[in-house]
Amino acid sequence: MAFQILLNFTLAFIWMFLSSNFTASGFLIGFLLGMLAIIMMRRFFKQRIYLVRVWALIKLTLLFIKELIMANVQVLKLALSPKLNMQPAFFALPIELKEEWEITLLSSLITLTPGTIVVHISDDAKTLYIHAIDIDDVDEAIDDIKNSFEKAIMEVTKS
Amino acid sequence: MKTNDMIIQFTAKIVFFIIFFFAIHIFLAGHYTPGGGFVGGLLASSAIVLLVLAFDIKTVRTVIPVNYTTLIGIGLLLALATAAFPMFKGDPFFTHYFDYFTLPLIGKTSLHTAMLFDTGVFLVVVGVTMTIIQTIGEDE
Repeated sequence: MAFQILLNFTLAFIWMFLSSNFTASGFLIGFLLGMLAIIMMRRFFKQRIYLVRVWALIKLTLLFIKELIMANVQVLKLALSPKLNMQPAFFALPIELKEEWEITLLSSLITLTPGTIVVHISDDAKTLYIHAIDIDDVDEAIDDIKNSFEKAIMEVTKS
Repeated sequence: MKTNDMIIQFTAKIVFFIIFFFAIHIFLAGHYTPGGGFVGGLLASSAIVLLVLAFDIKTVRTVIPVNYTTLIGIGLLLALATAAFPMFKGDPFFTHYFDYFTLPLIGKTSLHTAMLFDTGVFLVVVGVTMTIIQTIGEDE
């Protein structure tokens, strides 16, 4: 991943030297041509091509925006409802992510979508403890987070 | 009872760079826009304090091995030298000089000796803040 991006930058600079065009537009043309060359040579790399990961990152961002809007509407419904019949709960969420930044990203995403807040990480960093404002079925909530956010993050980090 | 501080530690590692860059920017912007040595020094020391909060004093001392009391001395010496230098040229104490230079990468810039005085202020502020926080924090 890092090697491919570095290679793409190097190809862009080579293009700038070849065309003697040391401007931002020349760099951009070289970068796009380098992207094309890397896509052509994709069988020779050990890892997946980095554009797939960039696309996964864009998809994760869109998913986050969608979830943010949906969850805010839900919390607005709760706040404006005349009767308070919500069910707050703490629950444990087992996670499969390993890296520090993945866990931080997942916790931030869970906290930023209203209705759920990460309150604690277990010492072996395999479980997140989450407080939810209104929950009917704990297993359903766990599956929901696992299938949306965690899957999207794993999609980004898969080599 | 030691809890897992993964989130704050990772976030502090990232935010440190942003605060430090902002401190340098404020320090350099002091001549024409709000900012200067004092605010920049406080911001730089606040970046280090964030690391101290996320980790602990011993770890931060190994990461940034600076003796802050000598930093105060260096800053004061720099400020005094900037102020005393014109007297050797026959000008009054604290005369400042400036001129326009063509630097690589930046182009035409005006360099001013007030910048050196500001650097002294910056170092003194960082040193004093960190000395206060370390001496209070180490009282066990």
